Amino acid sequence: MSVSVSIRNIAKDFGRYPALKGVSLDVAPGELVALLGPSGSGKTTLLRTVAGLEFQDHGEVFFGDINADELTLRERRIGFMFQHYALFKHMTVMDNIAFGLRARPRGTRPTEIQIRSRVLDLLALVQLDGLEARYPAQLSGGQRQRVALARALAIEPRVLLLDEPFGALDAKVRKDLRRWLRELHAKTGHTTLFVTHDQDEAFELADRIAILNQGMIEQVGTPAEILSHPSSPFVSDFIADVSITAVKNPNLTWLRNKGKVTTAA
Amino acid sequence: MADYAFISGVKARNEIGESKIIRRVLIGCAIAFLSAVLLFPLVIVFTEGLRKGITFFLNGFTDPDTLAAVRLTLLVAAIAVPFNIVFGVAASWAVTKFNFKGKNLLLTLIDLPFSISPVISGLVYVLLFGAQGWLGPWLRAHHIEIIFAVPGIVLATVFVTFPFVARELIPLMQAQGTAEEEAALTLGASGWHTFFNVTLPNIKWALLYGVLLCNARAMGEFGAVSVVSGHIRGLTDTMPLHIEILYNEYNFAAAFAVASLLAGLALITLILKSLLEWRYAEQLAASKRH
Amino acid sequence: MIISLLRRSLLGAVASVAFAASISVTPAFADKTLLNVSYDPTRELYKAINEAFAADWKAKHNGEVITINQSHGGSGKQARAVIDGLKADVVTLALAGDIDAIASKGKLLPEDWAKRLPHNSVPYSSTIVFLVKKGNPKGIKDWGDLTQQGLQVITPNPKTSGGARWNYLAAWAWASKANGGDEAKIKNFIADLYRNVPVLDTGARGSTTTFAERGIGDVLISWESDAFLALDEFGADKFEIVVPSLSINAETPVAVINENAKANGNEEVAKAYLDFLYTPEAQKIAAHQHYRPSDPTAADPADLAKLPKVELVNIDNAFGGWKKAQATYFADGAIFDQLYKPTN
Repeated sequence: MSVSVSIRNIAKDFGRYPALKGVSLDVAPGELVALLGPSGSGKTTLLRTVAGLEFQDHGEVFFGDINADELTLRERRIGFMFQHYALFKHMTVMDNIAFGLRARPRGTRPTEIQIRSRVLDLLALVQLDGLEARYPAQLSGGQRQRVALARALAIEPRVLLLDEPFGALDAKVRKDLRRWLRELHAKTGHTTLFVTHDQDEAFELADRIAILNQGMIEQVGTPAEILSHPSSPFVSDFIADVSITAVKNPNLTWLRNKGKVTTAA
Repeated sequence: MADYAFISGVKARNEIGESKIIRRVLIGCAIAFLSAVLLFPLVIVFTEGLRKGITFFLNGFTDPDTLAAVRLTLLVAAIAVPFNIVFGVAASWAVTKFNFKGKNLLLTLIDLPFSISPVISGLVYVLLFGAQGWLGPWLRAHHIEIIFAVPGIVLATVFVTFPFVARELIPLMQAQGTAEEEAALTLGASGWHTFFNVTLPNIKWALLYGVLLCNARAMGEFGAVSVVSGHIRGLTDTMPLHIEILYNEYNFAAAFAVASLLAGLALITLILKSLLEWRYAEQLAASKRH
Repeated sequence: MIISLLRRSLLGAVASVAFAASISVTPAFADKTLLNVSYDPTRELYKAINEAFAADWKAKHNGEVITINQSHGGSGKQARAVIDGLKADVVTLALAGDIDAIASKGKLLPEDWAKRLPHNSVPYSSTIVFLVKKGNPKGIKDWGDLTQQGLQVITPNPKTSGGARWNYLAAWAWASKANGGDEAKIKNFIADLYRNVPVLDTGARGSTTTFAERGIGDVLISWESDAFLALDEFGADKFEIVVPSLSINAETPVAVINENAKANGNEEVAKAYLDFLYTPEAQKIAAHQHYRPSDPTAADPADLAKLPKVELVNIDNAFGGWKKAQATYFADGAIFDQLYKPTN
C-alpha cells in the first residue's frame, strides 16, 4: 500500500518570483516527513506540486517508479488535507467522507452498502463514531480535522499530504491531535508529507524533517540529526526555539551538553 | 469558538444595545419610506387595473395583441434567463477560480450593462445587425432576421440582464475560494462532478437570487427592447412596450391591467424565492455558516 | 479539467444564442401578412381601415385571409427603424421628408415615390389646431395668444416628431403673415412660443397624454385628428378645440417600400392596400376618424361638418417643400436649435 515518493529537482516560478528553485527529496514508503519553513519558503507550493494541484516548470515527481506527471489528478490518488479542511459545507459527515468513492467512474464504484460500511469504519478509525449525520458547521475544529483526514483516507491514497494540519486549531487541541495523528500514522502506515511552520510540530511528529528556505531545501534529516548538526546558520537559527519536550527520540546527551534540556525532560 | 460551534437554531438576541425608542423610530422610518416609494405605487397599479371591475380587467387579456405580448415576454425570459445562468456561472467561475490576463477587462465588461443606458445597449445591436449596420447586408442576403424580430429582443434582453447572475455569484465565489473544488478534484471527481456536487450547491442561493432578479428584469426591460423591437403589434411588442401602447391609446384600464399582471409576475418570483428560503431554511443556514 | 468544463459551458451558451436566432417571426395563423409602419396618432384610423381592407381582399381573392400588422411611433423614429431594417411593406408617415429619408438613406424605394399615387401620395391629410380646457380659461383664440407670459404650451419635439414639425411650421406661417415676412420678428415670436413649452415629448401622442391625462399645460398644439380623439376619449365637457386663423395643410403621405415588399412577396397586396386608401370606403373611414379626405364626396357629410373651415398654407408654396424646410429649420444647428433654449 505504501509507496515511496521521489521529488526530483522541482522548480517553479509564480510570474517573476521563483517559488521553488530545484528541490529534491526522497521519502521512503510509510515514512512521515515534515516540510518545515517560514512562510514564503515554498513548502506549500512543493506539497501542492506533489499533489498535482500546481504544475512544476522543471523536474519530476515519482510515486514508486511511476512518473506522477503521466497521471491525472484522479489517477494520482492523493489524500490531501487542506489547511482549513475544505469540508463540503452542504454535505453531512457521511457524504463528505463518501465523496471520493461516489465520484469514481461507474465500473469501479463500490455499492452504496459498501460505501456506507467503509465510511463507518473510517469514522471509527478517526474516533468520530455516531457523527455521520452532522454537518461540518455542527462540528468542533478538531472534529472537522478528523473528518477531513477520514475523507482523504477513504480513497485509499498512495500518499497522504497534509497542509498545516494543525494550523486552524487552538493550542490545547493541537497537542492532543498531534499524538493522535502519530498513532494513526503508525496504524495505517501511509507515506505522509506534511507542511508546517511550527518547529515543535515537526520535531514531535516527523520521522524526518526537510527545512525549506526561499524555495530551496536547507537540510533534510531526522529531528535528532538536525538538532545535533544544523547544516547552516539559517537552520540553527530557525530551530533555536524548539522546545525539547516535543522532540522525538532526542539525542539527550548532546542536548544536555548544549544546555537545552531541563530536568523535566 | 471551535468546540462550541454546535449550533441548532438561529439565536434571536438584541445584539446592539440601542434603546427601544431609537429602534422603533428607525423601523418606522424604513417602513414608511418603503410604503411611500414601493408599496403605494404598486397598490395604485392594481387598483387602477381593477378600477372598471374584474370583468373589464379580465377583458384586457382577451385582446390577441395583449396575449401575444404576454407570450413574447415569457418566451424572451425563457431564453434570456437560462442563457444568463450559463453565462453568469461560467464567467463567475472563470473570474474567481483562475488568474488570467484580461480578467479585469472581463469584470468591467460584466458591469457594462449596469453602467450604460439600456437605450445604448439597444442601439449597439441596431448598429451591428441593422440594415445599415456591419452585419446587416450579410444577414439580409441570408434571410436572417435579428433586429426588429424576436432574436433581437432576446439579444437586447440578454445584454441588459447578464450582470445579474454574475454579480451575485462573483463576490460569493471569491469569498469561498477554490479549496472545496480542489478537495473534490484530489478525491478523484471529474470537473462536471465537482461543479454539480460541490460548486453548485455552494452557490445555489446566490444563483437563485440572481436568477430571480434576472428574470424580473428580463420581463420588465423597456429601453433596450424598445429600440430593437420595431413595435409590431402582436409580433414584437413585449408586455412593457404593450403597456405603453395601451396607455397612449387612452386604454388606461387595459394598460394598468397588463401592468398589474407584469407586477404580479414579479411578485410571484419574489414569493417563490421566499417560499424556497423558508422550505430550505436549515440547509441555507448550514451553507452560510462556516 | 476545469478548463474543459468552462469550454463546454461556453459552447452551450453559443448554442443557446444560435437557437434564439433561429426562431423567426412567422405567425402561423394568417395566409398573408402585411406590415404597415405608421406614425403615432393613426392607431385608430388603421384599426378601422385594416378591417375594411381585409374584408375587401378576402371577397376579391377567394377568401384569402390577410393580416395587417401595425407598428406606431414618432414618424422620424419609424423612418429610422425602416432604414435600419424594419421590414415594412408600406409606410404611412406624418410627412414626406421621412419617406424621402427612407428613399435616400435606405435605398428601399425610388426617390420619386410621391408621384406614384394621386395627390402626391397623400390619401388623407390633417391640420394643426389647439386643444384647451373647457371654457377656454386663458382666452386663447389664435397663435398670437400662445406667447402670453406664464402660459404653458404643450407640443412635442420637432427633432423626433412629425406632428411637432407641422406645429412649428404652422406657427411660423402665421407669424410670417402677421409680421409681413419680417424674419427677425418671426423668430422672436417662435422663440417666445417655445419659451412657454415646459417639456418636449418625443411624439405627438405623448404630448396629448401629457396634456389630457396628466393635466399639464394650458394649451396643446395638436393634430386635428388627435384633438378630436381626445374629446371623444375624455369627454367634450373637459376640453374644447380652438381653431387658429391660419394653419397648415399637414400632408401625410403613404408609400410602398418596394425592396421589402419584394422580399416578403407582398408587392401586389402592398400596392392594393395603398390603392384601397383612395377608395370611397377608406375615404369615408378617414373622415370619420377626423382626417381630411382627399375625396370629400365619399365622406359622410356629418363627419365633414365637424372639420372646421380654416385657411391653410401648403408646405410646397410656403416653405419650398420638405427638403428645404428640413434643412432650414430642423437640421442640427438650424433655426430651431438657435431659437429653442431649454428652460431647465
